[in-house]
Amino acid sequence: MTDRLRNLPTMKVHPQTELTLIYAGKRLKGLASDTIATALYANGVRIFSRSLKYHRPRGLYSLDGECSNCLMDVDGIPNVRAETSLLQDNMKVEPQNVVGTPERDFMSFIDKLDRFLPAGFYYHYFHRPYRLWPFFQNRLRKAAGLGRLKPSFRMKGIFDEIYPRAEVCVIGAGPAGMQAALAAATQGLRVILLEARPWPGGFFDYRSTNDVSDIPLHQRARQLADKIEENRNIRFFPGTFMTGFYSNNLITAFQVGKETDYFDERYMEIRVESVIVATGCMERPAIFDHNDRPGIMQVACAHRLARTYGLLPGKRAIFSIGDDLGLEAAMDLFDLGLPILCVADTRSDGQAPGLVEGLEERGIPFMRGWTVSTAHGSRTLKKVTLCTLDGLENRDFKCDLLVASAGLTPSAGPLFLAQARMSYDRFTGFFLPDEMPQKVHAAGRLLGLQDPLSIEASGRLAGLSAAADCGALVKVLIKEARELLEQLPGPVRGSKFIQAPGSGRKRFVCFDEDVTVKNIYQACDLGFDHVELVKRFSTAGLGPGQGGIPGHNLPLIVAQYRRYDGDSSDPILPTTIRPPLVPAYLATYAGKSRNHPKRTPLHETMKKTPGAVFRRTGSWQRVRYFTHDFQCREEIETVRNHVGMIDVSTLGKFRVFGPDALHALQRVYVGDMSKVKEGKVKYSAMCNEDGCLMDDGVVVKTGENDYYLTSSTNRADSTAEWIRYHTRYEVWNFSLVNLTDAFGAINLAGSRSRELLQTLTDEDLSNNTFPYAGYKEFRIGGDIPVRAMRLGFLGELSYELHIPASYTRTIWDMLLEEGRPFHIQPFGLEAQNVLRLEKGHVIIGQESEIRNTLHDLGLGFLWNREKSLYKTVGAPALHFTERQNGRMKLVGFRMEDPRRPPKDGSIIVDTRIRGHVCTARYSFTLGQSIGLAHVHSDLADIGTRLEILEDDMGSKRLYAEVVPTPFYDPDGKRLKI
Amino acid sequence: MLCRFTENTKKAKNKLMWQRPPLKGSYDAVIIGGGLHGLATAYFLARNQGMNHVAVIEKRYIGFGGSGRNTAIVRANQRTKENLPLYAEGLELWPKLTDELDFNLMFFNCGNLNLAHSEAALGSMRLLVASAQFHGIKSELVDAKQCKEIVPILDISDLPTYPIMGGMYHPPGGTVRHDAVVWGLARGAARLGVHIHQGTEVTGINVQNGKVTSVETDKGKIHTPRVLNAAGGYSTLVSAMIGIRLPVHVLTIQAMVTEPLKPILHHVVSSGAYHCYANQTLKGEIATGAHMDPWPNYTTQVSARYIKHQAEALTDLMPCLKGVKFMRSWAGLADMTPDMAPIIDGNNPIQGYFMDCGWGYFGFKSGAVTGKYLAEFMASDQCPDILAPFTLRRYENHKLMGEIANPVNYGPWN
Amino acid sequence: MSLTISCPICGKRDGYEFRFGGEERGPRPDEEGLTHEQWCSYVHMRINKAGIQREWWYHQEGCGSWFTIERDTLTNLEVEGREET
Ligand SMILES: Cc1cc2nc3c(=O)[nH]c(=O)nc-3n(C[C@H](O)[C@H](O)[C@H](O)COP(=O)(O)OP(=O)(O)OC[C@H]3O[C@@H](n4cnc5c(N)ncnc54)[C@H](O)[C@@H]3O)c2cc1C
Ligand SMILES: [Zn+2]
Repeated sequence: MTDRLRNLPTMKVHPQTELTLIYAGKRLKGLASDTIATALYANGVRIFSRSLKYHRPRGLYSLDGECSNCLMDVDGIPNVRAETSLLQDNMKVEPQNVVGTPERDFMSFIDKLDRFLPAGFYYHYFHRPYRLWPFFQNRLRKAAGLGRLKPSFRMKGIFDEIYPRAEVCVIGAGPAGMQAALAAATQGLRVILLEARPWPGGFFDYRSTNDVSDIPLHQRARQLADKIEENRNIRFFPGTFMTGFYSNNLITAFQVGKETDYFDERYMEIRVESVIVATGCMERPAIFDHNDRPGIMQVACAHRLARTYGLLPGKRAIFSIGDDLGLEAAMDLFDLGLPILCVADTRSDGQAPGLVEGLEERGIPFMRGWTVSTAHGSRTLKKVTLCTLDGLENRDFKCDLLVASAGLTPSAGPLFLAQARMSYDRFTGFFLPDEMPQKVHAAGRLLGLQDPLSIEASGRLAGLSAAADCGALVKVLIKEARELLEQLPGPVRGSKFIQAPGSGRKRFVCFDEDVTVKNIYQACDLGFDHVELVKRFSTAGLGPGQGGIPGHNLPLIVAQYRRYDGDSSDPILPTTIRPPLVPAYLATYAGKSRNHPKRTPLHETMKKTPGAVFRRTGSWQRVRYFTHDFQCREEIETVRNHVGMIDVSTLGKFRVFGPDALHALQRVYVGDMSKVKEGKVKYSAMCNEDGCLMDDGVVVKTGENDYYLTSSTNRADSTAEWIRYHTRYEVWNFSLVNLTDAFGAINLAGSRSRELLQTLTDEDLSNNTFPYAGYKEFRIGGDIPVRAMRLGFLGELSYELHIPASYTRTIWDMLLEEGRPFHIQPFGLEAQNVLRLEKGHVIIGQESEIRNTLHDLGLGFLWNREKSLYKTVGAPALHFTERQNGRMKLVGFRMEDPRRPPKDGSIIVDTRIRGHVCTARYSFTLGQSIGLAHVHSDLADIGTRLEILEDDMGSKRLYAEVVPTPFYDPDGKRLKI
Repeated sequence: MLCRFTENTKKAKNKLMWQRPPLKGSYDAVIIGGGLHGLATAYFLARNQGMNHVAVIEKRYIGFGGSGRNTAIVRANQRTKENLPLYAEGLELWPKLTDELDFNLMFFNCGNLNLAHSEAALGSMRLLVASAQFHGIKSELVDAKQCKEIVPILDISDLPTYPIMGGMYHPPGGTVRHDAVVWGLARGAARLGVHIHQGTEVTGINVQNGKVTSVETDKGKIHTPRVLNAAGGYSTLVSAMIGIRLPVHVLTIQAMVTEPLKPILHHVVSSGAYHCYANQTLKGEIATGAHMDPWPNYTTQVSARYIKHQAEALTDLMPCLKGVKFMRSWAGLADMTPDMAPIIDGNNPIQGYFMDCGWGYFGFKSGAVTGKYLAEFMASDQCPDILAPFTLRRYENHKLMGEIANPVNYGPWN
Repeated sequence: MSLTISCPICGKRDGYEFRFGGEERGPRPDEEGLTHEQWCSYVHMRINKAGIQREWWYHQEGCGSWFTIERDTLTNLEVEGREET
């Protein structure tokens, strides 16, 4: 490991705590608080990866994870950003996209083939002859992609999620962000402060200049950080990457846990009143020939390597920069011991005089109006060529480090995501907001400010403005803050420099996708003139770093091309920035497990019942079978011959009451609900405005203007909404209570159900006092109140018992106990399905579709046409379609071969498809195979022969005959016993 | 430096994918919308119908709408006999079109696996499978174990929220590079003389005596006897220009991609219960689509909810994907009809006004083939049989199409 | 897109608590004299305005009431404080 610089006040690594990392099989040492990348750099690693297309060597470039140069495989996780991921003890790190070693990659010959790989080359090759395309496709697939994920990979760690709320959220804890947070917090507002780095400080953090303040900037950063820590209104989240900015100020982010945190990563969703974006700047990459060679890095990268991590980035350095920060960094690094051969500055003037003097004092040659034009060296940097901006004069320098940057570019991603209107500002050369969305503010460097005092002042102003959004009375303070800001230096003129003179083939605009300037021209040459199209065609900015590296340069280069093409009118347009701003693990987004199905009051009982097979049905967990005989013969026969029971607690249950309750029911039910009599149940249906069956259920009258009704399971959640929706214009006076979860429900069915139920109650249950379609409230099992209905869904004498949820288990157990002599057995959804099929009853969603009306399903008799006064939902459509030709009809059918039911979903055909089987089963009760099917009306007549085609049946067919329903007990005698 | 640019542009003229011709005062047909539907129709008008004097008017840039935002899944296993033939032909068209346009549309014939998480879902799939087989389209039902054989990274244990019970495997499907389709068709059309006007917005349609006479744009008026509304998510607004309301909800649908990986997912996998589908693009990204935000709007904003939902769904089904990162999400407009089938109609009620919309989130796969038949319709004024079922009139005849069985769930009305 | 909506009873809440309920177009037409077209127009056809529209929302994960708000379909933001017209 290289020796680190010592005694730097800005240093964040801990020389006392050594950590081990295993890189490409070798054990290396790093320090606590190193990132993986800085630890590798300290160990002399210079080539971090090979590039996507050309397998070019790539190295440390920005330290902020803006490109794929430093994506590595860490402990089996691909594409880990080594630049921003903290080193942990015993990490196993492997380079990516390498065939061989990073130093010797066997695919690097592709780099020579670039002439054959112009932008979008794959659109033009490989498809002739077409049969070769699959072969090339395979090659392309294998060459593409960076990291490798093992199918057996399982993510370790704890992934949490939190949804904090506050008044103000500040993004970025640099000087502007910290000032903003303090200003808002001082007004008594709750502030959430997010910072991607593990510590606050932003770009003050590693700077030692004290030109404007009396203390070095890094010390100033500490002061502000201390204030943040002391302020109890501020919740500071370090190591937190903002990912999304959604409307009405919803911010998403994820936080990377420290050793001491209980989570590894956590997803955050933050809703606030006002947001301040203070995310500062990045550097705009310098574009010149071979600008991607390892040994070339950005200014802040070099500066932070030394200041934060104690690493001198090279032995012989050249600087080619475009702003004052570059000069400052050169001086500081020189003072720390970095030999600098010269500093080239694209600007011919405008440098801060102090900085130029500083270079002179140190004897560093300073070349105005010069820039780097070519980097040399086959793997890592060996030499650079500098030239004048007109390209006429050249000079070569041997070196191992080139610190290069074309200037600054704002980290304006959050503003783009916030839908701020951004446009190109010719003075700063930045994309700046023309207009900010409501309650969003920007502060600091991303507005083009450079002066430390201005930056802090703009933060304070933003903080106060945010406070004003939240109702704080800060008018005067805002005025003062604005006046102060106006007195301080404003935005700085930005570098207009786009690319070095020359026209080499290997000047990269986008590292991730290996897109060169040449590729951009190729796209433009083809007529892709909109920058968005150029981006798509060339793929610049579509890699893991997204717009990070090419985001600013691409629009400039396209505009440059268009200017030379004679079109200078076009504005310079940014490409769209999309969330997440920082890629985040699916594990992090997924957060905690979400598998929480709803359970009926009988769930525990069911779980203990031997043989119970559960299925997720909608939001519920229900028992489908109580045996492993999926035909459920025993369950079915028990109901047909003795008595069975099923948990139907999932049925929707509602009370509707009040003077206008009946009106409401008349509106939504197709039947005449005035016919509901006390002590009786009425079965009816609800349609939508197309006349399509939506729901069926029963209604009972429990008192004056007081009704109790049930809905099917799936509609339990939407019935209240439905009834209120369809009555929303009326001033009817009624109330509606959803009692679904208040009652459990058991359907006790079978010829012996009365005998059994009678053993539990003194109430007279005889057929006379409690006949078919009757309703009764009484107590059973001592003192438990039940609501009992005699229904006929399954074709037997049966009682649907609605019991207060907390007592449902008691009753179930009692029935089971008392039912032993009657051979009682629980049955599940599949047995119920067959039992009702034998009766020809429809299950919504199984036998009904949106294109079926009530009539199509043979349920037209439920509709009462005489109540147009009530504007019954669906009635007009029922009128219109009642006698319409050519509709699909629901019919019952019997198979010619009694032992062979078609599988559900089989189709009915002749020369065309004519319908399909909704449900079909072998009926043990009838000794026949029966079913319900949708067929075109001309096949719906009784006696019609149906040709049925299952999947994988080829030219074979099954045959059936349309028969009347119900199949079982057509007169319904068994219901009424 | 300057000279290399001029040299470049000189060379360029004959390489141009499409020219930037001046807007003329009249065309034989004006197509509103430079998505694949509009471009395909223009291409086939010129190629098959000999109508070359055609303008495609695009308010932003070609592919700005759904055509440049979709997840490019193609398949032919539709539910109804009305849709099956169109989609089947659509699927077969990709290789032919690649050849004809001499532009690699990058049809990745990886096959689609649609997962079933309940007995009922398997029944519904059988209907699709049997129907497809009846029409000679390859499709089969598979059980959970076979699902795992096809897509080894699936979790077929009972740990997921909705355990996998089986699925429908449709080998002829896959993905096509959406941008390539747009660009290939645009180039093909332009070479046949079609004018593509980008950055031009249609602002009105003029009608006289029940006939279309001209189209207003922000760059001037165009006389034409035929206009096609192929404005995708904006078709409602174009339709409003002529006073026709559509049974359409304009919703945003979102999609996202992960960082690129070496090949790990070799098929399109989808699951209705999870509202989720995913495939790995040729570039190595796992592309995945989500459900729609259920309120109409004309923004293309993404939401926090769906990227999270998508991660939950994907990692439930394919746990190894927990170690991958989402790097980009976006949204497009989906013009949803209540029966999940498009509206293709013309000369009704206004002579010369054609519409091809309501394609929701499923209109990529048969965009090209629809353009072919629509061109025939527009040139001959005879609606080809294959398009006839898609008439707007089906709604007032109460004959919704059965592409979806259950009511769509973006409103309280069903 | 993560709009918030103001429920008259519960106040401003996350949009996902609510369910969209369609454009405000007045109550359903009377049955008498109704034609197929009129009925279809009421049931299926939408205005699909690009701009501010009054529309219905249901507070599903809340108080369970229906109410109208104004929302700009071009920005997806609720327009607050406008009087019902
Ligand atoms: C996220 C997402 C995923 C999808 N996934 C799939 C999928 O996997 N498979 C599939 O088959 N389908 C998918 N789709 C659907 C598919 O993308 C669309 O149905 C299809 O692209 C529609 O194409 P189009 O040409 O009709 O419309 P668009 O591509 O939307 O084109 C319409 C064009 O009209 C222009 N325009 C609008 N108004 C005007 C005007 N007044 N003047 C001039 N021009 C105008 C627009 O700018 C736009 O470019 C998806 C859609 C989305 C959004
Ligand atoms: Zn409420």
